[in-house]
Amino acid sequence: MLTRVLTVSLCVAASVALAAQSSRNTAPESFRVNGQITDTAGGVAATMTLQIDKYTPDDQHQTIVNALKAGNNQAFLDVLRKAPVVGALKMNDRSVPIRWARQQPQGGNRRIAVMTESPVFFFGAGAVDAKPTAGYDVGVLEFTIDSVGLGKGTMAAAAKVKPGGPTGIEVEDYSGKRIELTTVTRNPS
Amino acid sequence: MALLSLTVSVLLTALVGAAPQSKNFIGAPETFHARAQVSTDTARGDVYVDIHVEKYTADKDREAVLSALQTGGEAAFVEAIRKAPVAGQIEIGKQTFAIRWAREVRDEKGRTITLVTEKPVYFIGAGLPGAKPRAGYDVAVVQLKMDTAGIGEGVMAAAAKVKPGEPTGVQVDDYGSEPIKLLSVTRKIQ
Repeated sequence: MLTRVLTVSLCVAASVALAAQSSRNTAPESFRVNGQITDTAGGVAATMTLQIDKYTPDDQHQTIVNALKAGNNQAFLDVLRKAPVVGALKMNDRSVPIRWARQQPQGGNRRIAVMTESPVFFFGAGAVDAKPTAGYDVGVLEFTIDSVGLGKGTMAAAAKVKPGGPTGIEVEDYSGKRIELTTVTRNPS
Repeated sequence: MALLSLTVSVLLTALVGAAPQSKNFIGAPETFHARAQVSTDTARGDVYVDIHVEKYTADKDREAVLSALQTGGEAAFVEAIRKAPVAGQIEIGKQTFAIRWAREVRDEKGRTITLVTEKPVYFIGAGLPGAKPRAGYDVAVVQLKMDTAGIGEGVMAAAAKVKPGEPTGVQVDDYGSEPIKLLSVTRKIQ
């Protein structure tokens, strides 16, 4: 299985251009997320709930970014996992804590990115010849949500986050293919 | 994830009590097309599967596998299966899996076909962090129930452990918590 390196422009935007969080910080909030991943043989679809209790403040965010840019993956994970829990990604009876959540205004919309403290799912790991899962230690979701509360995005369900690439930060997904978040709906408060 | 033990009575029938294949019955070589589906409350996966049976397993090979299972347990069963002649293949996307066991049992409604591959096809649930070990789940077991028109349904234990067990004499433990459903199974017109 080929691994594709994916660049998350949002991460760098969040890390570099975080002039300020929107004054309209809307957390706590939750989203209903429909994800799907397909190839020529078939596909998988899943429904998740994303709960964001609060967005990561600038000082904690900067600490995480600094650890990431230092290039020591374990140190980065240590910092991430010591950060306060700011939400959870829920699937059925599973709940994966979120340790980093940022939002950024984008026109009339918001661009939101979150990182879980551990991988959510290793797509393709059930194959007989699946590659090792070691090193894919987090999950990353990013999506755009409009003022009505509708949006879409992508998800790396098991990701390796590292410095590099044109934007400074790369997210490499275990499966080599991102989950499409076809519909993201902000739940009524 | 709980381990669900599935008893496939038809497999026993095929192993123990299968009647000789009728020369008049429409049999191998034949190909089936199916949609495999696995679902939970919040997720669902679908994939297309093609199953080609080149020939049904001969009685002497059936006896060898049966004997191995009964005398040597699951390890001997796997060894015997892998020594049996290739009876066909399962295709999923670009991957193929050799079938080493193929038996059909006729009744008034059609046929029940049981297939065993030489290796597992997929470990459902293995993508979850902390998934259980895969060791011992060395084959896949497919069961199709086809009517006389060539339409049917079935189930697949995509990674299975076959061992002696009550009440039917053969027990199939599926790595996944639920067997995969094979929907809209159709026999391809040659």
